[in-house]
Amino acid sequence: MKSQNERKRTFLLIAIPILLLFFAFNTVPLIRGFIYSFTNFRGYGSFDWVGLRNYVDLFTDTRVGNSYWFTFKLALVATILINILSLIMALALNSKIRFKSFLRGMYFIPNILGALVVGYIFSYIFTYILPAITHAASMLASRTWAWLAIVIVCAWQSIAMNTLIYISGLQTVPEDVYEAAALDGATGWNRFRYITFPLIMPFFTINMVLCMKNNLMVFDQIMALTKGGPAQSTESISYLIYNNGMNGGQFGFQSANAVIFFIVIVVISILQLRFLNKKEEQL
Amino acid sequence: MRRSIFILAFLLCLVSSAFAAPIEIELVQYKPEAFRTFDSLAEKFNATHKNIHLKISSPNEPMTILKTRFIRDNYPDIIGIGGDMDFSNFQDAGLLADVSGYKGLEKIKPAYIDIINGLKFVPTPGVFGVPYMANAAGILYNKDIFDSHGWKIPETWSDFIKLCDDIKAAGILPMYFGFKDTWTTLAPWNALAVDLVRADVCQEVNLGNATFAKEYREVAEKIYSILKYAEPGPFAYGYNDACTAFARGESAMYVIGNYAIPQILSVNPTMNIDSFVMPGREDSNAHTLNSGVDIMFCVMEACPNKDAAYEVIDFLLDPENIQSYVNDQNSVPCQIGNFNLTPMLNGMRKYIDAGKMADYHDHHYPSEMAVDAQIQTYLLHGDINAFLAKFDTDWVRYNRDIIEKLKKYNASHK
Amino acid sequence: MANQNILVKEKFNWPVTILLLLGLFTVLFPLYMTVIIAFKQPSEMTNDVIGLLSFPKSWSFDNFREAMRVTDFWRSLFNSFLITAITMIFSIIIHSLMGYAVARNMNRSKFYRFSYFYIVSGMFVPFAILMMPLVKQTAQLHIDNMFGVIILYVVFYMPMNVLLYAGYLKNIPIALEEAAHVDGASTWTTYWKIIFPLMWPMHATVAVLTALGTWNDVMTPLVIMSGSGVNTLPLAQLNFQTQFGTNYNLAFASYLLALLPMLIFYLIAQKQIINGVINGAVK
Repeated sequence: MKSQNERKRTFLLIAIPILLLFFAFNTVPLIRGFIYSFTNFRGYGSFDWVGLRNYVDLFTDTRVGNSYWFTFKLALVATILINILSLIMALALNSKIRFKSFLRGMYFIPNILGALVVGYIFSYIFTYILPAITHAASMLASRTWAWLAIVIVCAWQSIAMNTLIYISGLQTVPEDVYEAAALDGATGWNRFRYITFPLIMPFFTINMVLCMKNNLMVFDQIMALTKGGPAQSTESISYLIYNNGMNGGQFGFQSANAVIFFIVIVVISILQLRFLNKKEEQL
Repeated sequence: MRRSIFILAFLLCLVSSAFAAPIEIELVQYKPEAFRTFDSLAEKFNATHKNIHLKISSPNEPMTILKTRFIRDNYPDIIGIGGDMDFSNFQDAGLLADVSGYKGLEKIKPAYIDIINGLKFVPTPGVFGVPYMANAAGILYNKDIFDSHGWKIPETWSDFIKLCDDIKAAGILPMYFGFKDTWTTLAPWNALAVDLVRADVCQEVNLGNATFAKEYREVAEKIYSILKYAEPGPFAYGYNDACTAFARGESAMYVIGNYAIPQILSVNPTMNIDSFVMPGREDSNAHTLNSGVDIMFCVMEACPNKDAAYEVIDFLLDPENIQSYVNDQNSVPCQIGNFNLTPMLNGMRKYIDAGKMADYHDHHYPSEMAVDAQIQTYLLHGDINAFLAKFDTDWVRYNRDIIEKLKKYNASHK
Repeated sequence: MANQNILVKEKFNWPVTILLLLGLFTVLFPLYMTVIIAFKQPSEMTNDVIGLLSFPKSWSFDNFREAMRVTDFWRSLFNSFLITAITMIFSIIIHSLMGYAVARNMNRSKFYRFSYFYIVSGMFVPFAILMMPLVKQTAQLHIDNMFGVIILYVVFYMPMNVLLYAGYLKNIPIALEEAAHVDGASTWTTYWKIIFPLMWPMHATVAVLTALGTWNDVMTPLVIMSGSGVNTLPLAQLNFQTQFGTNYNLAFASYLLALLPMLIFYLIAQKQIINGVINGAVK
């Protein structure tokens, strides 16, 4: 009993200061931003209270509506693509391959290259190299295909990170589990389906959530590749919030956009977490 | 202990009053590419002025830096910024001091004072900046290609179209656009708009006296009509591609401003470039040069030593210093006087000297309205009515606070 | 030990190795473009495919030297290194503790379940809405300097890292701690003696992800330390981009220089993740 109390107290002593720190530098500024969403503040100088006007505008603004559609379409496709590919990559890089360190190192490079480099190189590939091979117009100039080009670049950059997380997840699978499985005759797909995957399910959850979050907040790739074009077809929500809120004079309005966006992704992610946590328990 | 501190403080006071420390003036300017020029100007100033110490900083991402400093109430004494929406916002937020009493303004070309006064949301009295350098936009052309074919600078819109046809017939691409970067659509747009549309069109629309659907129709028609003289699919190529293509002689002309010259020369340092004004209308004597204030000095309202700030600006406005800035940056000075300009602006020279110019129209567009992206959309679709209708409806939505302010101001100043 | 010897003797999986080597093209091709651009002069830049893919006229390191001079390389590197290293150390200590507190109590206590979702949802706050309030807040607290940037990073990466640690701990059996408790060790001691070392692969993963994020970040130091004159490497790299012109050659050289420390760090961290296998095997 005494040790139970000691345990509780230790956990509280750990959790409370950390929660306070988090509150001070995440929640407090968020609340301030929330307050600004009721103003026409431009970030500095004087401002007026405008009540719910920003929120009313938000629901009638087709540009915001389009950015939601674009962002979710992109996030869904990219998340699925990235998770499948990085799971395959992790299994491959974790198997008994030659040049393991070299290959792991090389496949990590896309994640370190800065946005300017990635933007320039991929613009070049999409504008000059791919059209030269396929004899089709540049994907980046097409309203139908530009979003797919962004999916490709997002995937190229973020597979490394998700692979890393899967690899560290694979380390928690003890070797003897595989040996036992081998004795039972489980190999290949069956071994993955019934043994490996259930064991790394928590990492699948983490990757789904992180990946979804990263893709929903896509910004760098847009700035580097299309700047929202062609014909405003690739304006993501974060792009609008940053560009019009910081660079433009719409800080108040975009704060309202950010608040709604925040609520939407929190709801999606918590549903995702709960669903996947339930799955984990079933396995 | 306490007494010794007191004595120390007293001594310090004595010492500091004996050797009066120079007044510190901080100038933050927004053109990082000009940092060398400004550094040498600061050095020269400090060598000749004992009572004032000038510190000039030329940060990267200057507007973000300035805005975040304003959030913290940390103000420089002078800011060097462009004549655009940021200036309008800073002025409207009451951050800038009225410098209309400053003597140096008398030497500035009135056209530029009008330009920055026109940027105010509300026509409040006062002048809130000292225009220093201007840029000029229109058409840059490859002089060698023009000379070898004997092509002349066009004086009217139909001359211009005929020239484009001739260039095309000679198997050369007339112009290269970098419309993947949406802001570049504004270069031909502004060049045509200053020639075809009244300069105060945005204020007139705000007052309800005009509509863009009517005022901008010809501009929209003409910008669409020159698309066929550019490379196919100009929406695939960016500003950088266009600069490279023009520098490598892939096109005879490039509709852009003098600000693109350094990037072009970096690819082809020996290129022979000249420029001319976009002839939007048929009357060859009535053209207007597209020119805006590239950098002006605004004294901050919070600056405690305005006289010292003026002394710094006096120094910067010294013709010798202006000339050295012009030599370094290929700019156009806003001050009256006989300066040597880069030969790359020869074709625009007579407009500059005569003061026949008007500001970029997009300096009056709120950036969040993304007019550049709307022009790009229009050029992709070709639906002029939809474009102009959206221009008018979006304008009202993005500018309603300004429109309201303006109406209130006018009501109280009748 | 015998187990290990069998592993070493086992044959390499050549088909997978070959597939991975072939797939490397997707990384090597963009990397090749980056390297040759870094060696070229601006006057060698063209718009045609052959011109771009051809070798530079001379392989001189002038661009690298110039890039180092322009960015004041060693000083900026030192600042970046300082910020990244301190953030990383704080993140590992603070976030693993929080992850532990949450993971061990989530199923029993509403408070910890709430804390978990509260912190994780902080991940979805768009930075743009926090930015201006944070600028004000850090200035008021007089931490508009490197220290403030580090605190903000520790808060920004908390959601992701708590998610990772909590997920990892699900795969570490609670029985290990309970055994230590029976021996009379306090929760605090048990954590540092048993749990913390067991999470080594996760520490390495968190270190890589946190370091990468801070290493490449421009926005936070830009807005928080604006005007202080302290440069990090990404801030110094902004020198190559101005409104109407970008020197891609110098920029690429500089990005390659900035990439190397991260790549080396990643390779070292990788070793730690693999060492985790041995730890796991021991348990």
